[in-house]
Amino acid sequence: MLSYILFTLTLGGIYALLSLSLNLIWGGAGMVNLGLAGFFAVGAYASALVTGAGAPLVIGWGAAIVVGLAAGLLVTFCTLRLRDDYLAIVTLGFAEVVRLVALNERWLTRGADGISGIQAPLKAELGTAGFNLFYLGLVAAVVAVVWFGLRRLDLSPYGRALRAIREDQELASFAGKRVLRFKFEAFALSAAIAALAGALYAHYASYVSPDHFQPLITIYIFLGVTAGGVGRPLGALIGGYAVVAFLEATRFMAALMPGLSPLQHAALREIMVGLALILVLHLRPQGLLPERIPPAPRVP
Amino acid sequence: MMSAFAQAVLNGIMNGALLAVPAVGFTMIFAVLRYPNFAIAAYISTGALAGWVANTWLGVGALPALVVAFAAAGLVGVAVEEAALARLRPSGALTVAIASIAANLVVENMLRFGFGNDLRGYDLPLRPDFRIAGLRIGPQAVETFLLAAVVMAVLFLFLRFARLGRAMRAVADNPDLARLKGISPRRVAMVAVFLGAGLAGGGGVLLGLDTAIDPLTGYRVLLSVFAAAVLGGLGSIPGAVVGALSIGLAEEVAMLAIPATYRSAIGFAAILLILTFRPRGLLGERAV
Amino acid sequence: MVISRRMLLGSTAALAGTLALPPLSLAQGEPIRLATLTPLTGAGGPYGPVMVKAAKAVVDEVNAAGGVLGRKIELISEDDQTNPEAGVRAARKLIDVDKVVAIIGTWSSAVTTAVAPLCWESKTFLATVSGADAITLLPHQGYLIRTQPNTTLQGRKFGEFALAQGAKRVFFLSPQTPFFQSQLDNITAAVKKGGGEVGSLVYDDKKPSYRSEIDEALRFKPDALVLGGYTPDTTVLVKDLYRAGYKGLVVAFGYSVNQKLVDGVPAEAVEGIYTISPSPAEGSKAYERLVKLIGVANPDPYTTQVYDETNLIIMAIAAAGQASGTAIKDNIRKVAQSKGGVVVDNAVDGLKAIAAGKAVDYDGASGPCDFTDIGDIADCQFRYEQVKAGKITLVKIA
Repeated sequence: MLSYILFTLTLGGIYALLSLSLNLIWGGAGMVNLGLAGFFAVGAYASALVTGAGAPLVIGWGAAIVVGLAAGLLVTFCTLRLRDDYLAIVTLGFAEVVRLVALNERWLTRGADGISGIQAPLKAELGTAGFNLFYLGLVAAVVAVVWFGLRRLDLSPYGRALRAIREDQELASFAGKRVLRFKFEAFALSAAIAALAGALYAHYASYVSPDHFQPLITIYIFLGVTAGGVGRPLGALIGGYAVVAFLEATRFMAALMPGLSPLQHAALREIMVGLALILVLHLRPQGLLPERIPPAPRVP
Repeated sequence: MMSAFAQAVLNGIMNGALLAVPAVGFTMIFAVLRYPNFAIAAYISTGALAGWVANTWLGVGALPALVVAFAAAGLVGVAVEEAALARLRPSGALTVAIASIAANLVVENMLRFGFGNDLRGYDLPLRPDFRIAGLRIGPQAVETFLLAAVVMAVLFLFLRFARLGRAMRAVADNPDLARLKGISPRRVAMVAVFLGAGLAGGGGVLLGLDTAIDPLTGYRVLLSVFAAAVLGGLGSIPGAVVGALSIGLAEEVAMLAIPATYRSAIGFAAILLILTFRPRGLLGERAV
Repeated sequence: MVISRRMLLGSTAALAGTLALPPLSLAQGEPIRLATLTPLTGAGGPYGPVMVKAAKAVVDEVNAAGGVLGRKIELISEDDQTNPEAGVRAARKLIDVDKVVAIIGTWSSAVTTAVAPLCWESKTFLATVSGADAITLLPHQGYLIRTQPNTTLQGRKFGEFALAQGAKRVFFLSPQTPFFQSQLDNITAAVKKGGGEVGSLVYDDKKPSYRSEIDEALRFKPDALVLGGYTPDTTVLVKDLYRAGYKGLVVAFGYSVNQKLVDGVPAEAVEGIYTISPSPAEGSKAYERLVKLIGVANPDPYTTQVYDETNLIIMAIAAAGQASGTAIKDNIRKVAQSKGGVVVDNAVDGLKAIAAGKAVDYDGASGPCDFTDIGDIADCQFRYEQVKAGKITLVKIA
């Protein structure tokens, strides 16, 4: 039971990072990124390949962040002039392309087999139980650092500028904000955080494959961010943890319904996930922790 | 080689025709309600399964099955819209879009709950292709193509000339103004969703004739349908048809040079390319 | 009453002793827990539910006959969503919360590869139907068996069969699977040996039509096509092949052109297709027994394999005299392949033989179920079947 809780908390941290990533771009700049799974994948593969070639873990994670940034810049560059709804669909396509590349470029990614045996830091030294505890702490620390950074960003003039762009792009640009640059930076940073989450996942699970990165995980993260509170890093963080807890809880809730086949239980679980997202949007659209708009500093 | 190219073009048109009807349904909802409805995948599957029920339980042919599928998917669409999406409209298009992703998950799994994952097929004969000058053409693909053309024309005329259709365009252009003129946006929204989801359902039957029918029938083609609608210009009905044919063509012709396994990526590359030059797609914004 | 120091020490030691014993002695009378982890949603969805049904049928049968080691068996079923991330979450719950001793039926190779380390680390037994050759090469320390024949065992058969039917030009059409390349290599080796030629194409498995793919395949002028996909994409392929007027030989995996596919596709499109599935030797009654047990006319290979895995695991528990992953690992080969043992085709008979102190050699519905040291099946025969008038009919077992 304990190892199950440790596992769920570790995974919760990885989902929390993804939620922070989505919150930055969606809550911060108002752009919808349905390609989250793609950036997650890019980071996971980057770190798996780099460390697989013999580089130390830090280099692997660094590589994940750099490749994530690059992928984010590339996607923003390709979609700069698109309206939000076009952007949503194009990012969804991006995630599918990442999956296809991972599936088909066997020379690089080992194709459908995936990459197994990815190095798990200190696992040999700590043993399985020790490693699980250690990794939980590591993930929590990374989440804390990223959260702290994003919170600072959120409260800074930069964060205000992003929000101004979200609320009214034209007005913001009229007010002298360089809208494009802000969008570039926010999207790339968000992509880098998702990629970092991917790297953390890869070294925890020791295995990545194209099948890991299906669109369903993006829906889960949307549920997390919405439930936690769009636009507030702490809300997204809590939402990330909450959504993993909820996903696991649905197992036990579905099992309470008697007389159903395993298939129907499985269907019921996914229905619950979908309903939860719809309900949150209706009943508490501002999420658990509503966004706080800090007042602009008074000009003396 | 020339004949291979000509055949690829034909295949592209036949493949594209398959995407056209659901793409029109998707874009129809967008045209009036201004949000991308991701639940379209579940509506396609709903239609495919409803058509299957009509065909194998009631023993009706393809055309009545299409009608049943249209009605069933349309009703499910309206129910989802009223229960889960309509009240979110004031929060913005993206919020509704995200709710529609959730709704898609719910409907897909309700189908799974009821019907299971077993693959099903219509009790209808397959017809072999006929050949003209060495080129293969599928009679069913031709019918699908004609049907897509008719649907497009009827919708186009409906929106242009029918009173309700004009009201829908008015709502699409300016909801507040429409309300002032005594047009009920709610009724218009319901009609638009019924038509859009219904068309997706009808498209599901056409897809089901060629593929396997299960709760994922719609999901498998979702990205291609999106690509078609985006390429043609979201909200443009002729655009959706043109977009679908273009995506079909791009996929099949590119296959002469690029590995078949990257077909989905080709559609994606095509939309990026077109959107770079025309950010609102081939047939622009308000070509309705 | 005065409690002496010695008594206290003694009881503490007894307590410690109890704690150190395997859970069996604590949980006497409690059910033994087994799990299925199959795809119930996602791309593998068509396969998972009937696999669960087969495992459940075996468990019910054994429970009706009194269970094993005097305990009932409880089967817990989770959904891997055809996604290794979700599969790992489900496996963690099964291992840590339900404390199952074995997980049965992981289908997607990616899910199996993701779940296997959890199993060997927690000493939980894993029985899989995944096809990727790499799976049995994982450092699983014996905690894994696979009933799906690997590609060296299976791929060659497709090539040899096509040759035997008089084909010289064989074309392999497959989606991107972990075993595509090795399958192709094995087919090629077999066909080349007979002086034939092999071509291949990898397609995208989500498309609603494969006209151009088929055009490309037909440009090779094949006289045999080998289909390497699963039911949803193979459904589209056989329809488009019929439309294209292809009249040559078609050979497919038994799990892809299965009864569901045959029922769902107009008869003319599947008429004459050959399928190959792992099989027990001719004369074995296990297959017919399974048919009766789950009421499915032509159970596909995954179903037969899950049936066998469940039977084997239950007998291994009985042979070990205790229920744990390690006990299963140490005893599964004793019940699967004891030389000169009583040949049984189901766990109920096997349990009786084990109780009578006899060695057991299980021959199942998917084959003789003898395993190599790394957990692959050592050898099996294959059922060659052909679709005739909407029915999958046995041609030969060889």
